Amino acid sequence: MVTLTIDGVEVTVERGATILEAAQKAGVRIPTLCHDKRLVPFGACRLCMVEVVARGRKRTMPACFNPARDGMEVTTSSPDLIKSRRMQLMLLLRSHPLLCPSCDACGNCRLQDLVHEYEVAEPPFPKEQRYFHIDNDSHFIRFNMNLCVKCGMCVRICDEVQGVNELSFVRRGMENEVSTDFGRPLDCEFCGQCAQICPVGAISSKWLVGTGRQFELRQTNTTCAFCSLGCTLTLGLKSDKVVWVSSPSDSHNEGNLCVKGRYGWPYVYSEKRLSKPLIRKNGRLEEVEWNEALGFVAERLNSIKEAHGGPSLAALGSERLTNEEAYVFNRFVRTVMGTPHLDHAGGYGYAGLVNGIAPALGYPASPNSINELRSARVIVLLGADLTETHPVAKNEVIRALTRYEAQVIVIDSMRTRLSDRADISLLVAPGQEHLIAYAMLKEILDKGLFDKTALALRADGLDELQASLERYTPDKVAAMTGTDPEEIRQAAKAYAEAAGSLLVLTEGMNRGSTQVLCAQAAANLALVTGRIGKPANGICVFPEKTNGQGALDMGLVPNLLPGFRSITDEKARAKFEEAWGAPLPSEPGLNAGQILEKAAAKEIRGLYVVGENPLETYPDRNLVKKALESVEFLVVQDLFLTSTAALAHAVLPVKAFTEKTGTFTSSERLVQRIRPVLKPGAVKSDLEIFTALAALMGQPSMTYSGPEAIMDEIAGLVDVYGGISYRRLAAEGLPWPCVDPEDPGKPLLYEGGFPGGKAKLLPASVPQPAVGDALPMFLIPAVLKFHSGSFSEWSTSLMEVCPEGSAEMNADDARSMGLSDGDSVRVIGADGSWITGKVKISRRALRGAIIVPQHFSALKVNTLTRWNGPAVRVRVEKA
Amino acid sequence: MEDRDALLKKKVQRTVEVLPAKELAKLDEVIARYAGKAGHLIPALKDAQEMYGYLPMEVQHRIADGLHVSPSHVYGVVTFYSFFTIMPRGRHTIRLCLGTACYVKGSKEILETIVREVGINVGETSQDGRFTIEAVRCLGACGLAPVMMIGEDTHGNVDPKDTLRIIQAYE
Ligand code: SF4
Ligand code: SF4
Ligand code: SF4
Ligand code: FES
Ligand code: FES
Repeated sequence: MVTLTIDGVEVTVERGATILEAAQKAGVRIPTLCHDKRLVPFGACRLCMVEVVARGRKRTMPACFNPARDGMEVTTSSPDLIKSRRMQLMLLLRSHPLLCPSCDACGNCRLQDLVHEYEVAEPPFPKEQRYFHIDNDSHFIRFNMNLCVKCGMCVRICDEVQGVNELSFVRRGMENEVSTDFGRPLDCEFCGQCAQICPVGAISSKWLVGTGRQFELRQTNTTCAFCSLGCTLTLGLKSDKVVWVSSPSDSHNEGNLCVKGRYGWPYVYSEKRLSKPLIRKNGRLEEVEWNEALGFVAERLNSIKEAHGGPSLAALGSERLTNEEAYVFNRFVRTVMGTPHLDHAGGYGYAGLVNGIAPALGYPASPNSINELRSARVIVLLGADLTETHPVAKNEVIRALTRYEAQVIVIDSMRTRLSDRADISLLVAPGQEHLIAYAMLKEILDKGLFDKTALALRADGLDELQASLERYTPDKVAAMTGTDPEEIRQAAKAYAEAAGSLLVLTEGMNRGSTQVLCAQAAANLALVTGRIGKPANGICVFPEKTNGQGALDMGLVPNLLPGFRSITDEKARAKFEEAWGAPLPSEPGLNAGQILEKAAAKEIRGLYVVGENPLETYPDRNLVKKALESVEFLVVQDLFLTSTAALAHAVLPVKAFTEKTGTFTSSERLVQRIRPVLKPGAVKSDLEIFTALAALMGQPSMTYSGPEAIMDEIAGLVDVYGGISYRRLAAEGLPWPCVDPEDPGKPLLYEGGFPGGKAKLLPASVPQPAVGDALPMFLIPAVLKFHSGSFSEWSTSLMEVCPEGSAEMNADDARSMGLSDGDSVRVIGADGSWITGKVKISRRALRGAIIVPQHFSALKVNTLTRWNGPAVRVRVEKA
Repeated sequence: MEDRDALLKKKVQRTVEVLPAKELAKLDEVIARYAGKAGHLIPALKDAQEMYGYLPMEVQHRIADGLHVSPSHVYGVVTFYSFFTIMPRGRHTIRLCLGTACYVKGSKEILETIVREVGINVGETSQDGRFTIEAVRCLGACGLAPVMMIGEDTHGNVDPKDTLRIIQAYE
């Protein structure tokens, strides 16, 4: 720690902190024009010059990159400093057009603010005009380089944080500008970080042109409704319409957003949104009033229940429901519908957490938080293509890699942007990722790269684990997977010996059933090397969609009650039965796959689908279709008439995340608010629908005064949410476990040990017997960064950037089949079902694999995927 | 003066003619020489320019790919050093001064003549590969304004009416 004074204020900061950081802590503002806390200090603008007296000598230096030292006396605004700042600003104004009245950045421009603050008059020298054309050719983002002050922040954020390096300074002198090569339109992540960081109006959002300026916008913070990272969004409204989305720099995501968060929201204004309930009459879906629709649904569900019993009904929830909605849906399904059959996300959204992480460590949740990644020394991405699935977490890996020189190890079945930059990249066939982790574990155990005594105190099951790993030596696994045994050994050593090692996993439909084995292997690696409960050590698991963690916490699964209590646990059941005033099923219900099978067999007669589109996203499309067509009664609750909804007997339109109140729980267990900013049409929130239906179905006691009251009830029943209330969530989120109103929550789990006393090492799985005459290729259903499930097809902006997917193939495979870019191919599964797509030759695809994105209703990749299959075998032919 | 300033700002050419695949493949030797080594972009670009005479988009992209740097970064480097050029060069480079003195004394008319008669503007190369024209700011010979350099030859006090006669001497 060092202590110094800044403008007479004494302040103590960590060694290595800059003078600027010390000043921020002391509450003294130093002007900056090229500094951002996410970036390596650059020193371009020199506006942050301060006078420093140290050891009797006075010097002037930039505050943004000089470290604070003990005993420094810093002056931030002497007459000399003010004079020189004024001159610097005049020099900038020399070539800066003074068209502030028509500039979209007016009022949100650091140059304008400083010119105003320092009372800069007309510069005493002639102006030098620049003539750059205004470039509107890129999606979302516009460039007006006449306004650029050359702070370099756009170039640096794109490189240092995004890892994309799409922008550079090109040409020299007065012609110098920020551009792509040959001034082509952007072909990048479209994260908009460059536009957000530009201190002037040189890079800006096209949507703001002539629309609104910062000071006219009403701003509200909420939480992103796409992926599970839960980035904080600031919605800017003009005349009650969202025109701009950004993120506050003091949020947990530090102002970083991806394309979906920043530009994906226009779906809330889609003209395709349902405005009225629909019910099927004479074979057609027709608009009706709410009373009629709710009455119809209640009557149909009730009559099936009466005739065939509650368990003839089933329900599928969603990772997009708020915690409050998920909780009430759970109550509705189990007590009002009276069925145990409840699941969501096809079971793939949480399988690794429930069956991999929880049995080993205790909680089915990610033990670590996202920005611990940047402090790790070794990051192992175990089937986690973060660039596509969780872009803002990818930024953390990029920062660890470039700024802190962490080692990155990629284990995946495709080449990814991160595998290109990894120190070790172990590329395998789909479904083999966990084998590499087994081999690393085997190596660590054999070479004694762990503390055996400490492990014995921490976890049970070492002997069984050791025995199960016999067949997974690096050499054997290398032979099975076609990798280099030496690289596996190096990866094991790097992982085991680093001061901080984090494993990263993702969950979701694209991960197939081996995600559970990956999660178990990851838990073993972290336990054996003693990495649980320490910062920058452990495991990050990222579920697919926004409330993946919350849906699990609220028990939208066949065997769990809210708070992960088993439905077979009599005491837990009794607690909920008392709170909910109704008996609960005592046995686990069917999971998503079984529900659909039974529905296809007409054993499930009524199905309630909320916020999911199983026809597009669940495996085995033909089975799903058959199931949805076979049920006597299908009710779908959604914003849009999805293809699942089109098969329904009743469709109930709901509010978007911008229209309702609630909370989402992010992948780092952060419970955060969403806030209504728009007035919805005649739609209802999922919550309003559940309570209305409950009343109509004879359970009028299921009423709540609103989401806040539901959170209070959750806090009373779910231990880890015990201290959470809307009052406490007003300013920012709280990470569970947060057990009482004083508890600040725990960003890091297991710091004080494991809930069951000891953790458990889970034995490695037995290898799957090779299928006899397997088809020659693997199909990889993939996630694209511009999309989210099948839902993003409704977002016109995301569809503008990425309107369709192709079948990505390795150049060698394509050549040997005589295929070139744009050719149509048929991808055929083992049972002869097939899809067609256009070939794109891609570095991402390894030999023997074909990658098809899972977001497009035109591609229907789920025709080929199957429940519980580790990987999908296909053959490809020219169509 | 405004249109003068506009001329001084080069237009970006987004499309450059396509090199035959065989020609382009020669680049891979250059890339192989430098791949995997940090800081070898400039020598690689130099070798490539020696091979093709200039650095069109596809050459830059191939180098970017081969050396694992972003194409914008390559372009930034290429456009920073005046040694590199992204356009094929004519046999003769006309450097026309558009500095204030020359501009006032007629370089605007000179340029107009060239645009009209040769059909190329600042930054462009004539179809027959004979001329490339560049605008410069003040060659430091204002006493001779207007000044035009062709290759190494300096032509001072150029009467705009003589423009064609002067350039036609260069084959
Ligand atoms: S949008 Fe993002 S990826 Fe694209 S240039 Fe800007 S910062 Fe880079
Ligand atoms: S475009 Fe904006 S962010 Fe980029 S260098 Fe110019 S002023 Fe800075
Ligand atoms: S990373 Fe995820 S949470 Fe963050 S903005 Fe993108 S989709 Fe939203
Ligand atoms: S902020 Fe320190 S030099 Fe720009
Ligand atoms: S202005 Fe042309 S030489 Fe100076």
